[in-house]
Amino acid sequence: MLIAIPLESHPAERRVAASPDSVKKLIKLGFSVSIESGAGVQACYTDAAFAAAGATIVADPRQLYAAADLLLKVRPPHDRPQLEHEVDMLRAGATVISFLWPARSHELIDRMKAKQITALAMDQVPRISRAQKLDALSSMANIAGYRAVILAAEHFGSFFCGQMTAAGKVAPAKVLVIGAGVAGLAALGAAKGLGAVARAFDTRPAVRDQVKSMGAEFLEVTIEEDGEGGGGYAKEMSPAFIAAEMELFRKQAKEVDIVITTALIPGKPAPKLWLKDMVELMKPGSVIVDLAAETGGNCDLTLADQVVIHQGVAILGPTDLPSQLATTASQLYAQNLVHLLTDIGGAKVQDPEQKDFVLNMEDEVVRGCTVLHRGQLIWPAPIKPQPAAPKPPAAAQSTAASVSSHGRGAPPPKASGSASKALATWLSVAVLVAAYLLFKDSTDSGAQLFAQQMTVFALSCFVGFQVIWSVAPALHTPLMSVTNAISGIIVVGGILHLKGDLTSPAALLALAAVLFATINIGGGFLVTRRMLRMFRK
Amino acid sequence: METFLNLAWVVAGILFISSLRGLANQETARRGNGYGVTGMILAIAAILLSGTAQHLGPLVGTLLVGALIGGTMAQRVAMTSMPEMVAILHSFVGLAAVLVGYAAYLDPPNGHGGIAYNIEIWLDVLIGAITFTGSIVAFLKLKGSLSGKPLLLPGRHALNLVVILVSLGLVVPFAGAEGSLGIPWLMIMTVLAGLQGVHLVAAIGGADMPVVVSMLNSYSGWTASAAGFMLGNNLLIITGALVGSSGAILSYIMCKAMNRSLVSVIFGGFGADPAPGSASAAPQQPQGEVVATDIAELADELRDAKEVIIVPGYGMAVARAQHAVRQLTDLLRSKGCNTRFAIHPVAGRLPGHMNVLLAEASVPYDIVLEMDEINQDFAKTDVVLIIGANDIVNPGAQTDASSPIYGMPVLEVWKSKRTVVLKRSRSSGYAGVDNPLFYLENNRMLFADAREGMEKLVAALQ
Repeated sequence: MLIAIPLESHPAERRVAASPDSVKKLIKLGFSVSIESGAGVQACYTDAAFAAAGATIVADPRQLYAAADLLLKVRPPHDRPQLEHEVDMLRAGATVISFLWPARSHELIDRMKAKQITALAMDQVPRISRAQKLDALSSMANIAGYRAVILAAEHFGSFFCGQMTAAGKVAPAKVLVIGAGVAGLAALGAAKGLGAVARAFDTRPAVRDQVKSMGAEFLEVTIEEDGEGGGGYAKEMSPAFIAAEMELFRKQAKEVDIVITTALIPGKPAPKLWLKDMVELMKPGSVIVDLAAETGGNCDLTLADQVVIHQGVAILGPTDLPSQLATTASQLYAQNLVHLLTDIGGAKVQDPEQKDFVLNMEDEVVRGCTVLHRGQLIWPAPIKPQPAAPKPPAAAQSTAASVSSHGRGAPPPKASGSASKALATWLSVAVLVAAYLLFKDSTDSGAQLFAQQMTVFALSCFVGFQVIWSVAPALHTPLMSVTNAISGIIVVGGILHLKGDLTSPAALLALAAVLFATINIGGGFLVTRRMLRMFRK
Repeated sequence: METFLNLAWVVAGILFISSLRGLANQETARRGNGYGVTGMILAIAAILLSGTAQHLGPLVGTLLVGALIGGTMAQRVAMTSMPEMVAILHSFVGLAAVLVGYAAYLDPPNGHGGIAYNIEIWLDVLIGAITFTGSIVAFLKLKGSLSGKPLLLPGRHALNLVVILVSLGLVVPFAGAEGSLGIPWLMIMTVLAGLQGVHLVAAIGGADMPVVVSMLNSYSGWTASAAGFMLGNNLLIITGALVGSSGAILSYIMCKAMNRSLVSVIFGGFGADPAPGSASAAPQQPQGEVVATDIAELADELRDAKEVIIVPGYGMAVARAQHAVRQLTDLLRSKGCNTRFAIHPVAGRLPGHMNVLLAEASVPYDIVLEMDEINQDFAKTDVVLIIGANDIVNPGAQTDASSPIYGMPVLEVWKSKRTVVLKRSRSSGYAGVDNPLFYLENNRMLFADAREGMEKLVAALQ
């Protein structure tokens, strides 16, 4: 199965859908990989690096598209300057994996339908824990959050970190992040790292701990309402809640220097959270970075990919933040693709005639991101009930369980050891007393002998128990082989019976016993010696 | 002469006790082995010199041949095959005991034995035969020639009981028989006891082999003791009792470590019964996804780590990875990373198996810690590397009441920041239980042969 990775020709796109590392992994999965010459240049991956990883470099884009069984891209397929539409250059029945945004790409979907394309959308990966490793949206959001802070710093006229200098005091920047998803948390981390005072607002109380774990403050409104909308997004809130939220924002607007908004509601325009009057409340020189610019923006005044200055406040609406960190973004995205292809089953699971994947529609992840299957629109996937998110109480329960199992489980070995020792002591005493009582009046020499032997036996057992308890567990194997060698003392029995005619059955049996017992003695002691020699401090 | 011999027996007995005493810790262990050797040489020399022994030529010849065979076996055996070696040596003790028993019956003292004497022979042969065949089955299982799966015959407890009762019942015609006429009875019983030995060990699953081996160790002691009663020899009684109690304690310790009852071990077939309560509650199916990692990623993580704990298991023994593990340890320690080992009492197929392997690879024993010593340290550990171990790090043993290993104390590796499980495949452990650890968020799987993986890791870190 041949994977083709084209140059991303969108003017604002610097990423590429592969890294030399991912190429190696794809080849390991059984694919062959061809890459358009210069595809990685903007992400600092040279053709030579790709070739060294095992990819074929193709100079002619038409040839690349025509030969491809599977096209891996970042942006949705589009018209290429000086060429045709990317979909039109593919063979019928090929597979495309990229960001597709099926809800707003009707024209593209129709075009792919016509060519019997199978299309998987990286933006439709279900947000379940199993799919985290192929969640490209999270990978990109992480970059966007970091980059948003850097961008804000560029437009901000002061330090992020408060300073006391000989020339006077500089207050630290106050950064407010709205929406503590992946991007929001990354922004908090970056802002905190630069020394700013970071605070965050989110309608989902569940993210409070995550915000706090980044060292930031979690702002709350007085009304209690859970904004958890499933799939890692928030739902729309009640009017009363929104009123309280706006009041909080107006208060914050007077204080903060930087606002970073990241609120998205899937399939809908971004909610307007930072209104014009809030911008006007802010100090001149403040910066707003709106990460929702692509879907209309969270701020009233946002214009996508432009810097708007309103009463001294800069409002930025960048839509290409991940692309600005092209090398890392490409690396992470390429790794997400590798994980997806691994989940699908690598190059092995393919239909030999169509040269496409056999997609396992039972798999929630595969089903979720498949938009077109051989030209048939199957998106959106039927909604499965959300598995209950792992809640903190579960962890508490398991801790409680482990604690209680400690409580009622076996007592610690030491205690049980001494208990058994005591038991052994009393047993030995009991045997001795019993032997005395049984045989004290006996005059039979055999019985006398037996009583004496029992005494020796009981004492030896007692001594054995006493001695063995103190053996270090690390020495249990040598202990076993040494006791094994010692039990070869049965050789004495053999020697004692080796008498009379050497060819008599009794003597022969005794001789055999001597042989086996000595094997045991020799083997046991030597092997112990070998083992013990190895123990060193 | 009698006095001289008795004196020698007492001294030998004391030497044997000192030998076991010496094995209590690493510093004195070698001296302990020396005491054992001295005691044994003293005992044999005393009996040879006392004039009691006859046919000195063939006898000394046999002793030398036996010692030579045993010595060669001991030199050749690989440290990883130690469990098999110990098991087969146990079978020799059992066999020797059976042979001595027969010889004693055919050649009773003063021409006639008497009932008490016959009963003692009976016991000696009975335990000897069970030890003999049981050890051979254990040997074959450990070697892999026999499947590790427990053989569960229908009504096996009843079967065991019947065979034992019949074996014991046969003592009546045997003990009463005149002269050597009881031989057929003795033979029937030997065969029955032999079959009993096979059945007892065959019914025990491979994961419980440490208990079986120490149990057979104990049996081999009791059989020597029985021979002592039979021959009226105090040295045999003392030594047998020492070994017997030592094996019994080891079995007891192993059982505690695996949360099993000793009774069920002795009667066989344990490790196969479903845990109580599992009838209603199906075993929890672990949720989530296992995440694989690779050598490079693991090397990076280890480079950044300050605290590393390595948990070795049977997989390390099978792959003979202990030397590569030692190299890894040296490397990490030279970089200032506190690297230690956590040893579960039943890791491997023999008590202390892992310690022996690590010692073979010259890992200093003061960084090799027991479960109780290290369990509380996992929470502040950066990386826990689990090499070929599974059941002993299964969190289900603490949380999942329906798990067959529920209640078994385990190494709490999941409390660390990152666990990496090095395994050949994702199959379950010897106990056949799925391991929820593999699905935890902070766990990574490295699918590789233990030795190859370790060697590559060492290369990546250098």
